Amino acid sequence: MSLNDRLRGVFVDALQLDDSVDVENLKYRDIDEWDSVGHMALVAAIEDEFDVQFETEQVIDMSSFKVAVDMLKGFGAGE
Amino acid sequence: MTLLHAQARLRDAATGELLGGAELAGRVSEAAKELADLPSGVLFLRVGLDLTSVLRYLGAFEAGRAVALLDPAQDREVLDGLVARFRPAAVLGIDDEPAPGYSPDWVREDADGVAPHPDLAVMLPTSGSTGNPKFVRLSRSAILANADAIAEVLGIDENEVAPTSLPLHYSYGMSVLNSHLRQGATVLLEGSGVVARPFWDAVTRYGVTSLAGVPYHYEMLRRLRFDPAKYPTLRTLTQAGGKLRSDLISEFNDKMRAAGGQMFVMYGQTEAAPRMATVPSERLAEKVGSAGPALPGGTFAIRDEAGNEIAEAGVAGEVVYRGPNVMMGYAESEAELALGDETGGVLVTGDLGYLDADGFLYITGRLKRIGKVFGNRVNLDDLEQIVKGFGAAAAVPAGDKVVVFLDGAEKDTCKQAAKLLSETLHLHVTGFDVRPAEGFPQLPSGKIDYRSLEAQV
Repeated sequence: MSLNDRLRGVFVDALQLDDSVDVENLKYRDIDEWDSVGHMALVAAIEDEFDVQFETEQVIDMSSFKVAVDMLKGFGAGE
Repeated sequence: MTLLHAQARLRDAATGELLGGAELAGRVSEAAKELADLPSGVLFLRVGLDLTSVLRYLGAFEAGRAVALLDPAQDREVLDGLVARFRPAAVLGIDDEPAPGYSPDWVREDADGVAPHPDLAVMLPTSGSTGNPKFVRLSRSAILANADAIAEVLGIDENEVAPTSLPLHYSYGMSVLNSHLRQGATVLLEGSGVVARPFWDAVTRYGVTSLAGVPYHYEMLRRLRFDPAKYPTLRTLTQAGGKLRSDLISEFNDKMRAAGGQMFVMYGQTEAAPRMATVPSERLAEKVGSAGPALPGGTFAIRDEAGNEIAEAGVAGEVVYRGPNVMMGYAESEAELALGDETGGVLVTGDLGYLDADGFLYITGRLKRIGKVFGNRVNLDDLEQIVKGFGAAAAVPAGDKVVVFLDGAEKDTCKQAAKLLSETLHLHVTGFDVRPAEGFPQLPSGKIDYRSLEAQV
């Protein structure tokens, strides 16, 4: 499974998203589910799935799906 | 009597604009004037963390117009229900299709409406009730008395800069705004929240001095490895909205003290505008777990089951608060807007607790089955009712969330039930941990053994 697909799955599970949501273009606070509470659940779920640990700066900079993909690539995850 | 001290300032983080002095007073008067031609009745204000919303709130307060503060993200269905029940003069902060009987800019077409009681200033929804929310009626004098008492115990002066880390329709968020504006301090309007980069950039850029949070904010700050050394101006943390774990209280208190700052743990209810108690920062270390002594002007008493006050320290009963900040009462319909004070300054909190020999309150539980979801009070029996279409349910509190056991349910059903709870109560879905169960443990009486369920979570 590609990195994008795995991450999409994590977003859908952690934020309990409907199929209609365009996950790959999602930005923080675009939808009710991705608010500050959802963000923390999401960060924890991403860390579990990819076995990584984000720094404080990364947690507060993770403002979109695409940014999360780039951060994971930075960890060498999903390769 | 006004909320706005001559030195008070509002900073809009989105634009950097700083409003103060005569300019701010002028903008508030303008907002007040816009309300002058509206028909009689309460105002509904969908209040966001933006300048327009805050100017409207202050305008209504200064104009002596009763205003109900509502969640801007509230479901249209719930709003329509409230509009039908309370017939507000206007709904501000909405650009949706108008409700029946309202003009395109949401002004009521029928000029006749119940005039709210002249003392009534602010109404706040009681959190968590299902489908049929009611309002807490707060008088002008209660709002001002509480703002002043809070400022006194926290030592708020004109040098403080407080960000809007909480929504303004939430009583704690409103009180942060009120208590700072009243002392001539600055309120920074910032809407992105403590997990986002713009918030922390604004903390640094605008020299934020304090941060208000409910327990889940402290869980987040711990997760973010919050370090006060990185924010040299930020020297005060306040916490309310539910009991914070003792280890987190100690951790943050130690961090702040080491950095030359302070932490305050507080207790309140929307019904008290909302603050009732605050632990003085210098005593927090020895009083971890306490809600603190009553605010200046207030007193606590503990009642036994027969309704008699318990004089002895350390004996638990129902917590009763008396003070100038207690609500006038509730309102469930338009007619009740006209009611005067029904409480006489006495609030029977529904919380169980005791006072120690120093007069510090310790909360031990609730009379009714109540849980907290991210700082919002929810009735656990109501939760069970909401999901009964999915099967028999048993809800128990679990820190800042609730766990709902659903009899005979599959994983997918649990997910749907969590979603329904989230949508009905407009609280984040991760606050509802719905788990499959095979029957529930029972007491000899045949009732659900909630204690044993709580022990499982």
